[in-house]
Amino acid sequence: MKLTVNGRAHDLASDPLRPLLHVLRDELDVTGPKAGCQQGSCGTCTILVDGEARRSCLTPLALVDGAEVTTIEGLGDATRLNALQAAFHQYYGAQCGFCTSGMIVAAHALLERNPAPTRHDIQTALAGHICRCTGYVKILDAIEAVARGETFTETNGDRQPGVEESVAKTGVSG
Amino acid sequence: MKAVGARLPRYDGLGHVVGETTFVDDVRVPDGNLWARALRSPSHAARIVRLDTRKAAELPGVHGIVTHEDIPRNVYGHLEALGVPADEPLLAEDEVRYKGQPIAVVAADSEEEAQAAVEAIELELEERDTLFDIRKAFDPDAPKIHPWGNWFPYFGGPDEGPDRRKVRKGDIDKAFSDADTIVQGVYRPAAIEHCPTETQVALVVPEASGRLVIYSCTQAMYFSMGVVAAHLEVPLNKLKFVGGTVGGGFGGKVDTAAETLSGLLALKTDRAVKWRWTREEEFLASSTRAPWHMEIADAVTSDGWILGRKMLTLHDAGAYARFSPYGLTKHAFHHAGAYTIPNIHFDGFVVFTNRVPTTAMRGFGVTSVSFAVETHISRIANTLGLDPYEFRLKNANRVGDTTPNGVTLTDPSTVATIHAVAEAAGDTLAPEYAAMTSEPRSGPLLPDHLVTQQRDGRSAHA
Amino acid sequence: MPRHKGRGISTIEYPTGMNQNGDPSQAWIKLKPDGRVDVFAGTVDIGQGSKTVHTQIVADAIGVPYEWVTMDNSNTDSSPVCTGSFASRGTFIGGNAVRFAAERVRERILDIAAKELEASADDLEIEDGTVSVSGAPDRNISVSDVAAAATWGHGELITGTGAALKPYAPVDPETGAVEIEPHCAISYASCIADVEVDDETGEVTVLRLIQAYDVGRAINPTLVEGQIEGGAMMGLGLGLLENSYPYYPETDHRGSEFGTYLAPGMEELPEIESLILENPAVDGPFGAKAIGEMANNAQPGALANAVFDAIGVWVTELPITPERVLRALERKNDGKHEPRHEGKKVIFDEEISIGTIGANGGAVALDVP
Repeated sequence: MKLTVNGRAHDLASDPLRPLLHVLRDELDVTGPKAGCQQGSCGTCTILVDGEARRSCLTPLALVDGAEVTTIEGLGDATRLNALQAAFHQYYGAQCGFCTSGMIVAAHALLERNPAPTRHDIQTALAGHICRCTGYVKILDAIEAVARGETFTETNGDRQPGVEESVAKTGVSG
Repeated sequence: MKAVGARLPRYDGLGHVVGETTFVDDVRVPDGNLWARALRSPSHAARIVRLDTRKAAELPGVHGIVTHEDIPRNVYGHLEALGVPADEPLLAEDEVRYKGQPIAVVAADSEEEAQAAVEAIELELEERDTLFDIRKAFDPDAPKIHPWGNWFPYFGGPDEGPDRRKVRKGDIDKAFSDADTIVQGVYRPAAIEHCPTETQVALVVPEASGRLVIYSCTQAMYFSMGVVAAHLEVPLNKLKFVGGTVGGGFGGKVDTAAETLSGLLALKTDRAVKWRWTREEEFLASSTRAPWHMEIADAVTSDGWILGRKMLTLHDAGAYARFSPYGLTKHAFHHAGAYTIPNIHFDGFVVFTNRVPTTAMRGFGVTSVSFAVETHISRIANTLGLDPYEFRLKNANRVGDTTPNGVTLTDPSTVATIHAVAEAAGDTLAPEYAAMTSEPRSGPLLPDHLVTQQRDGRSAHA
Repeated sequence: MPRHKGRGISTIEYPTGMNQNGDPSQAWIKLKPDGRVDVFAGTVDIGQGSKTVHTQIVADAIGVPYEWVTMDNSNTDSSPVCTGSFASRGTFIGGNAVRFAAERVRERILDIAAKELEASADDLEIEDGTVSVSGAPDRNISVSDVAAAATWGHGELITGTGAALKPYAPVDPETGAVEIEPHCAISYASCIADVEVDDETGEVTVLRLIQAYDVGRAINPTLVEGQIEGGAMMGLGLGLLENSYPYYPETDHRGSEFGTYLAPGMEELPEIESLILENPAVDGPFGAKAIGEMANNAQPGALANAVFDAIGVWVTELPITPERVLRALERKNDGKHEPRHEGKKVIFDEEISIGTIGANGGAVALDVP
């Protein structure tokens, strides 16, 4: 079976029923997609198959013969962040980071389909993606920032200092 | 510029957003690794009559099987160092006390082969009576599910009573006698799952020297290293924990879940072994937040003072103690909530049932009592016809007030947080309540029943 | 009118660090020959952001740019003891460990700089990677040059260790009393929940959560917000959705996947307003105390109170499912929801008490005079 992953062509002799997730992780060492549930219900393994978001844990290899597969690694890297990656970084859309790959890939597919989603559209589209740190506010903020065309200067991988903002200091002592 | 107080980006944020952060399951070893799977008890409570792994060991791809006989020290307690005796075997010996309890683990070339071997292990059980309702644990005819009985007996230390966590303060009988009203309620928060998106996982790589390198998702590397060392009976220089990057924990990864058995399989097979729990295991066999049963009776006055609290707490520990005695003690220390209550009578029990052992989870011991107290406080306010803000503000702890266990508070900000949310919500407080501060009590805020609670020296009565 | 709005409040407190203490964290720091800072500490980053917070603390405690600091928490060979990332101890205890180590490093930098500048170490200050003489900013040397001088000139390693430990607080088994404060600090919070309850379906919708947390000092305000917002959603799960045992105490029908276990998703997200108060802890790093765990403690009570405000029934078994709401409404309509009055006692929830359910509940049942 032939498979292109993040632009690289592969010829695979694996079990055609093997989940794509395991082929990616264990045969091709593409570890961005995570084995969060392997039941299709958490979203951490989400990848793009010919541009469509899919749960790679429930996708048998045979079903993607000849397809173009894109994972989080294919969207950008630390020196050339894709807009969603930059936004997730800038808006603290990642806490533990385990759901982040799938979340960004799914958001990418959404924006390709609907470049100007409302907050509600995003909530509906990503409803099946579990973030157990439940950091949904900042995930939504990040995706909305991209949707409204915000540009991100920070793409060189440095840890740039943010803007210092004062926090409400109420005289609560005593 | 100063770093502290600045909204600096996450140190590890870039790795997260490009998918490069290396979680345990992403670690690769040159010669690959074996995969582990566990035989778990299909029964809630049973005697193990027979366990035979011989046929399973002969199956293709199988490299090793570990049972309790292979473990240098099978029974070790997570809190032994704090005086909580051990009660839980790493692998069941003659009894299983919850469905999902591990009995044997297999290492094989693939997860599928390991699972096939698990299913080929011969297990014969003799079912026992079960106990699930902690309210029935004290009944004379309740099944005895644990060698200690149905509740943890050592709150005074190893082999020392009392059999409950007690808090006693002031004169509880006088408080109830003086009260205008006594409000009683029962509060029962549920068990919930930690369910981090990263399931429990360990990868153990044996070094030529015999030392084990343990890639771990633990929330507590040194703590878990101590647990593994105790079971294996090895000094700490025989272990190296690699971790620090975890896909969510919420308390569930304080339990040392996969590391020790993966280590034993690595030693037995002399191969790297990975054990990645399935989502079903994470949901059904890993520990949960505890269900609690709390009964509160508060002695209150018509004008809104809390004179005293009597409380009974049952903590559903599941089949083994793990961190439950610790959690119950923390619960006891905080059962007055953010209020100053001068007379206290608290009894709490760690009760065993035939469910998966419960463990630490975010807010351990206190999440339960925060729910109970806060619902109860609003109930009292409603019963007395008082405003819920005002009732809280009046009884809220102040500088110099003492807690149920005798700690003097130095910097409480309860009043300030109530003011902050009321303002944000657009709720206007009466002037005397809006003017309140956390300063030591005086005047009308220091009635006779609270005089003994002020230790600050700045108070009017000191 | 099937939909009713309600507001509930809840006020909580939560300790920083392990109950009864005795939980050390340690750190060591070394300087590279160009002054860049390597921190070795064992605090696990479970998503709460401890690596970021500790880096910020070290940068300011030494006086170097944040970008100079590398955090290594990767293994037990290079990192000293950290009891773990639990009990809301990472920022305070782990943070104090790296702070103490950084303060030792700062002293060593000043010692070397004093030799290079021919000044007294007491007269020197460090800011943004430069050591200068107080009142004479022209007399200065960069920390990079100090580290180079230490390495190549003085033959010394600039390093420092830090250990944070509050001693174990024994508890009297008969009274619960302690002599030593059994925590490092206490954080405080209040939460207001605005809900809408549908009295036909029993569904509770959270419209808004307003929450104020006193965290002592927000080392990184955005990470604090992350804890407040994430905790709010977990508290919403506790209050309304999640249950490992839907028929508790029985164990049937446990959810074994996210499709059958209701972890909060993005669609449940209400409007969340986060207020951060800063009432500094005397012993905390830069005044900080904990936020992590308590962030999911306030919502369940606020939600139960909001449901009462909306429809006049108390649901005191969690989660507050549509079934429980409808059953409570049914009891209310049948006149059975009111508490029993006995003398001055007002008794709620009697039917689920141990006195009622346990055959021998009297052995431990709450004895209310």
